[in-house]
Amino acid sequence: MVMTRRDFIKKTAALSAASFVGLNLPFAKHVDQAGATDADKWVRGSCRLCGLGCRVELGLKGGKPVAIRGVAKSRTNFGYLCMKGMLFYKVMEHPDRLKMPLYRESKKDAFREISWDEALDIAAKKFADAKKEFGGDSTAYYGSGQALTEETYLFQKVMRGGLQTNNVEGNPRLCMASAVGGYLTSFGADEPIGGYSNIEKSSCIFIIGSNMAEAHPVFFRRVMRRKMDNKDTVKVINADPRVSPTSRIADMHMQFRPGTDLAMLNAMAYVIIEEKLFDKKFISDYAVFKSGKNTVDMDTYFAELGDYTPEKAAVICGGNITGDMIRKAARWFAKSNGTVSCWCMGINQRKRGVWANNLINNLHILTGQLCKPGADSFSLTGQPNACGGVREGGGLCHILPGHRLVKKEKLRNQVESAWGIPAGRIPPKPGYHTMAMFKAVNEGKIKAIWINCTSPAQSLPNVDLYRKGMAREDVFMVCTDIFPTLTTELANLILPTAFHFEKTGVYGCTERRSQITPKCCDAPGEAHAEVWIVREWAKRLARELNDPVIEQCVAPFDGLEEGYDLPKAIWDEYTQKLTKGRDSDLTGATYGVLEQMHDGVQWPAATEEYALTGGTVIKFAREYDPMAESHAKDDKPFQFYGPAHPDKKLWIWSRPYKGADEEPDAEYPFYLSTGRIIDHWHTTSMTGRIPELLRANPYSFVEVNPRDAERMGIKPGDMVELESRRGRVEMPAKVVEGPIEGMVFAYWHDMHEDRMINKVVKDAFDPGSKEPEFKICAVKVRRLSGPKRLTPYVV
Amino acid sequence: MDARKKIDRRDLLKILAGTAALAPLAGCKANILGSPVGINRLRPPGAVDEEDFTGRCIRCGRCIEVCPYRSIVPLDATDGVNAGTPLILAEKMPCYLCMECVVVCPTGALQKIELEDTRMGMAIINNETCLAQTDDTLCRTCYSVCPLRDIAIHLKEFKPQVDTSACTGCGVCVHACPIEDSNGVKPILIDPDFVPQGESS
Repeated sequence: MVMTRRDFIKKTAALSAASFVGLNLPFAKHVDQAGATDADKWVRGSCRLCGLGCRVELGLKGGKPVAIRGVAKSRTNFGYLCMKGMLFYKVMEHPDRLKMPLYRESKKDAFREISWDEALDIAAKKFADAKKEFGGDSTAYYGSGQALTEETYLFQKVMRGGLQTNNVEGNPRLCMASAVGGYLTSFGADEPIGGYSNIEKSSCIFIIGSNMAEAHPVFFRRVMRRKMDNKDTVKVINADPRVSPTSRIADMHMQFRPGTDLAMLNAMAYVIIEEKLFDKKFISDYAVFKSGKNTVDMDTYFAELGDYTPEKAAVICGGNITGDMIRKAARWFAKSNGTVSCWCMGINQRKRGVWANNLINNLHILTGQLCKPGADSFSLTGQPNACGGVREGGGLCHILPGHRLVKKEKLRNQVESAWGIPAGRIPPKPGYHTMAMFKAVNEGKIKAIWINCTSPAQSLPNVDLYRKGMAREDVFMVCTDIFPTLTTELANLILPTAFHFEKTGVYGCTERRSQITPKCCDAPGEAHAEVWIVREWAKRLARELNDPVIEQCVAPFDGLEEGYDLPKAIWDEYTQKLTKGRDSDLTGATYGVLEQMHDGVQWPAATEEYALTGGTVIKFAREYDPMAESHAKDDKPFQFYGPAHPDKKLWIWSRPYKGADEEPDAEYPFYLSTGRIIDHWHTTSMTGRIPELLRANPYSFVEVNPRDAERMGIKPGDMVELESRRGRVEMPAKVVEGPIEGMVFAYWHDMHEDRMINKVVKDAFDPGSKEPEFKICAVKVRRLSGPKRLTPYVV
Repeated sequence: MDARKKIDRRDLLKILAGTAALAPLAGCKANILGSPVGINRLRPPGAVDEEDFTGRCIRCGRCIEVCPYRSIVPLDATDGVNAGTPLILAEKMPCYLCMECVVVCPTGALQKIELEDTRMGMAIINNETCLAQTDDTLCRTCYSVCPLRDIAIHLKEFKPQVDTSACTGCGVCVHACPIEDSNGVKPILIDPDFVPQGESS
């Protein structure tokens, strides 16, 4: 009998593809991907994309970028990179790069190229006019967790000290403000206590609200390695309403109804107390219990947890959650030699994001899983410099550089004195937070807004509402960016900027680590570094307003060369004058030190000598943190010296379960959640322009649970409409055992009007952190048609 | 035994490389009776054996018309007897397995078949040039786009692996793979004539 080809193929069931290892099938012998072999010079810096801070080397040939490779000696990534990180150099030479200032008087006109002189004069005049007529608070700066620390710092200095407004915000409000709120209220100090290296010492890893396999692949490699090398001794728990690629390594996937994790986390705390799994000495030495405004005792706290016995919580949570599962998770968490919790947007982008953060931190305080190797309550961040530039550099409306609160006069005065400007110059009232800022834009209260390195016209929730404001003729909008975006399309003035490696500056990544990226090639056309743009703009602003104090804000930097000397002078001012003695002390992390390090420096690092060791791996522990020694108030090994808790204690919070702002109902019966995919990053203004990455995922799609799909007659690839009370999109369906029944999950990386999911999500926000609830809203789901060929879209 | 198997496999590969496989890649056509099927050159789902396909297919173009992704293209006159028959160029536009074409074929050249049973070919990863296999980067693109993720392509020690018993040969992985050399050759390809070792005699 003759065997056909198909028969042969069917018979291969027993054959593993691994048997083809090393076989030279009809492939080219050598793939010259990335032209790595061609580079004649390698320059060390940081990755431009996510918040992990992987160290990379940019390969140059004849001064042009041709490749990227990882730095093997870096403690962040050990040489590993994801595909995005490996390819981002391709945006540098992209033909879409903005090369000349572009201006239009009316938003109805077409842009025309103008000179820098003209552009800066216009920007200065518009901001000066707004301040003269409507006051400083009619101007605003909206920045980015991707701007260099030097840039954010200088922008906020000119806004606060110069224009006298605290309307300084940035997109980190959309991604990690809740983690800031959580850390400050639980530990009294912002940012994680430990770092990535805890993973290699942990024996329980609790992942909640994070698809790190796709959003932080290089960190996931460490988690996966830890699990695979210690299959029996390391437990991984993944808690998420959606089964994601991260779940693959989990011993247990806890799948709950969106928003009910507050009940689940409370139930874990309940088990820890009920089964006496808590660390009594740790609690009595370092912690107090808080309920509302009151300090309470453990019995009261436990009584308040009475509504969250594992069995009661399981009913609230739905999904696959049982009382036994919660008990098991709590036991693994509490009994392990070291537990690390990792979370990301699933916890932060919530109406009750701060509470959710508190509830995770609670588990660590109760069990003493803190301040020791292998134990940490660790918030992952999405942008490369949200921690460094925005959280530490004073890039939000309520904080000044060096973790100082705007509302505290003493702290304002410290900043004013460091800047050499009159006391009282910085207004005492915090400015508009992001959602309030764009509401004020809608209402015409903001007359001039500067948007730097971000695209709110795509990234805000309920985005159509806020695009209306940005499109107003009476709102003058400046954008500094490297590419056209949906936001530059609404601007009056577009200023082309230098990209990563075309300017020098520092990024501070997730684990309190500051790392420098030097300039090694020139920006295209007439693009300039932002620090130059701000300085030159401020000088003109000073003339327009006849205000020498504005001049004083940039006077220390006058005349300095923009590629290196200028950012170095700004970094020196910020670190030496404003972080000294603060918990984020970067005094030792000078450019000289940062340039020597393969990776960088983890603050606090008060001296250069100490910074050269890499800085502080674990905060608050005397063994690791010199500041814990110098700030010690007793002889205990841990000293929680953070600025927010006067009692220098950790606070365990009683926080009730509250659902999402918008729960599904008869009319809008599905939960909608959104997220990321490995090949793209955020609005795709960069990754969408890298053909290799765009091809992998050319447009958004929506994941539908197979049982829901069957009920609605949705087949893979069918076009599906998602509609909320705010807007609608249509995208292809992926029928997959991912989201829990009753929930759909869509990717947000797509600029196309038909598929931009932020038109659908809700702009409700956390009352504490003001971070919007991107992760949960209610939608209708309707099948529109069979599969349709779509075209990718990038502005 | 191992040695014999190796010889078998090598022989096969030689034949493969010498005939159909390289022809489409090199841009030159085989003789007028030759099959257009080869590396990344696939018949639509449910196609009968290639020897019979040219006879069964009446060049009606219905599969081409119904394909929502325009993955299926008709061959032109330079393809000799195969002119007008449908082909999928996997790296240009792969098959997304919507299974529309198998329903409309009037002659059974494409037989009605379920998604999971489709075998257009086999994805094969070149372990020397795939940057995930060589540990150069943590790439999982083929894995994350695979319509049968965790079934046809799974991760082993962070590295994508093809399960030859489940791969449909749809080519979505080939299309998405971000790595290619200057000749456009990728470290993953679909081999429609994949024959497992030891089964060739």
